[in-house]
Amino acid sequence: MAKPHYEPPKQSVAGQLFDSLFLLVLVFAALFTPLYLKLAGGGKTELAVADKTTWAGLGQNAVQQAQWEKLGMTPESAAGIITSRFDYSFDLAGLGLTILVVVGYFLLLFHFSKAEYADVIEERFGKK
Amino acid sequence: MSQTTVVHGEKISLLRVLGPGHIWALGVGIVLVGEYMGWNFSVGKGGAFAALIACWFAGLLYTCVAMIDSEVTSTVAAAGGQYAQAKHIVGPLMAFNVGLYLVFAYTMLEAANAITLGYLVQTVGTMAGFENVHDKPFIVLTIVFLAWLNYRGVYATLTFNLVLTAVAFIAIIVLFASVKPWSGEILKHGDLLNGLPYGMLGVVAALHFGLWYYLGIEGTCQAAEEVRSPARSLPLGTMTGIITLLLAATMTWYICSGLMPWEYLGQAVTPLFDAARLTDSQPLMVLLFIGTVFSTLASANGCINDASRAWFSMGRDRYLPTWFGAVHPTNRTPYRAIMFLVPVALVFAYFAPLDQVITFSILSGLLGYTYMSFNVIMFRKKWPLDTIKRGYVHPFHPIPAIVLLVLCSVTYFAVFLGYGTQLVAMMVFFAVASLWFHFHRYKYVRRGDQFTMDWPRPAGY
Amino acid sequence: MHAFEILEYVAWGVAAVLGLWMLFDMIKTDRSYSEEFLTSSKEGEIRDALVIDPPHQGGHL
Repeated sequence: MAKPHYEPPKQSVAGQLFDSLFLLVLVFAALFTPLYLKLAGGGKTELAVADKTTWAGLGQNAVQQAQWEKLGMTPESAAGIITSRFDYSFDLAGLGLTILVVVGYFLLLFHFSKAEYADVIEERFGKK
Repeated sequence: MSQTTVVHGEKISLLRVLGPGHIWALGVGIVLVGEYMGWNFSVGKGGAFAALIACWFAGLLYTCVAMIDSEVTSTVAAAGGQYAQAKHIVGPLMAFNVGLYLVFAYTMLEAANAITLGYLVQTVGTMAGFENVHDKPFIVLTIVFLAWLNYRGVYATLTFNLVLTAVAFIAIIVLFASVKPWSGEILKHGDLLNGLPYGMLGVVAALHFGLWYYLGIEGTCQAAEEVRSPARSLPLGTMTGIITLLLAATMTWYICSGLMPWEYLGQAVTPLFDAARLTDSQPLMVLLFIGTVFSTLASANGCINDASRAWFSMGRDRYLPTWFGAVHPTNRTPYRAIMFLVPVALVFAYFAPLDQVITFSILSGLLGYTYMSFNVIMFRKKWPLDTIKRGYVHPFHPIPAIVLLVLCSVTYFAVFLGYGTQLVAMMVFFAVASLWFHFHRYKYVRRGDQFTMDWPRPAGY
Repeated sequence: MHAFEILEYVAWGVAAVLGLWMLFDMIKTDRSYSEEFLTSSKEGEIRDALVIDPPHQGGHL
């Protein structure tokens, strides 16, 4: 084998513990930061309807009305559900930035992986 | 039951005891909960028809995933599944990331299941007339009990899953037969379906939760080191799994969209249970309640199994502290990895809101699928078909890989609609973790030892 | 205290027992075997795997 065998250093217990904790902190940061900054979830808008107090006013037909009532709903309690709509408007700059981040991440991944992989193959199979 | 410790030489390994039925139960068991809750948020995001289109598009995405995965896994028989694949085919950093995707996708899903189960028990308590009932004790019990089961042995764990999953699947079929799908007597599709409330954009947006019908089926290959004949069992279990899910997803959509106005369906917590309520049948209600409970249990159980295998494999390769790479001498399970993930799951189930947990899980899964499309192309390039014998060869290469990549890109956009911040936060997290791995952690990793398959040298290296 | 409250305490209790069971078993195992042996599992050791009768291996309930 042309390439000398790489012998990794032994990691101390404290080092092992630190590495585990580091990853944990990173996970919690990723999950809770958007929540903390109140940036999670999409916006909602409200649909305009004729009358919020009757089924007909909410645009429900006879069958729909029957099923709502079977589920224990009244026009008042169902109005919020029926008129709520997602807001899908977005700005192109945000989309562009997101695409950049995703693509950049994968480029980084493949770039470093490739270098490390060549190393692994060389040690496993010897120099070509 | 008697227990003999098998120690060959001075070494110890996981046990090879599972058959194709267990693989089916592991794959479907994790996912079937998606039909009992969660998929219907796609109705909310785009209307009932959009949800059906999303269901089939996601079905296509997962068929690609299952085909690609089956081929690669039938040659890479190692615990950690896609993680071990990435290590052999793409490289160490990719493998580290894939390992993290797996651990997070499954641990988050496990937390989501525990939350739902706690919520159900609480609901029953309230319905029975008790005041001040809590869900927390049942959330904690679910996680700890299933971890204990996993700790004690894989055979019992997955046999347990086989029973739970079969019952939950049969419950859907019974409900489907009971609503007389051949007549318009109970199902009222004509009066309840009303086109696309958000237009085509809604169809794309619905794809986000459309993944829920199938999320986790790729977990079958985590068990590669514990299956008696991986080359046969893994493709068989995975493919029958995806067919089961396609059937269950379509039936579920048909039942629910014919019984509930889409506005209600789009925000329901337990849609199949609600569907049973609308049939006025007490036995059906009980059956679907049991089905919901069983499906959450089976899912959480499979998640613990898969997440711990991935964590264990990374410890064994020193990607994580080596301490995690231990196998229990009598139970033959990765016991330290199982223990370590218990508090992690508990923290998420206890403190994080459900939709956040779910989005984190979906995104981790999505990143994994994106990787798979590159993975299979590189696999075929580095080891053409005549160089390694495969247990299964997927047809039409490279079309499935390209279709998968396109569908993944569309799904990123669907997640971006409404959850753009989480998407970016998550990518930043993985980028930081990657830099940490490349510049710090990788120095503890043995180089040549990572390549464990007896494959020939890859073409081009 | 009503029936559901008792159920809640039972749930806490069982969770604690199972958690401690795992913890003690882990400590016991860690002490009775060498670290080299416990972490001796290697990836891809498929050919020397033994053919095992499932119900008698790792299948204890």
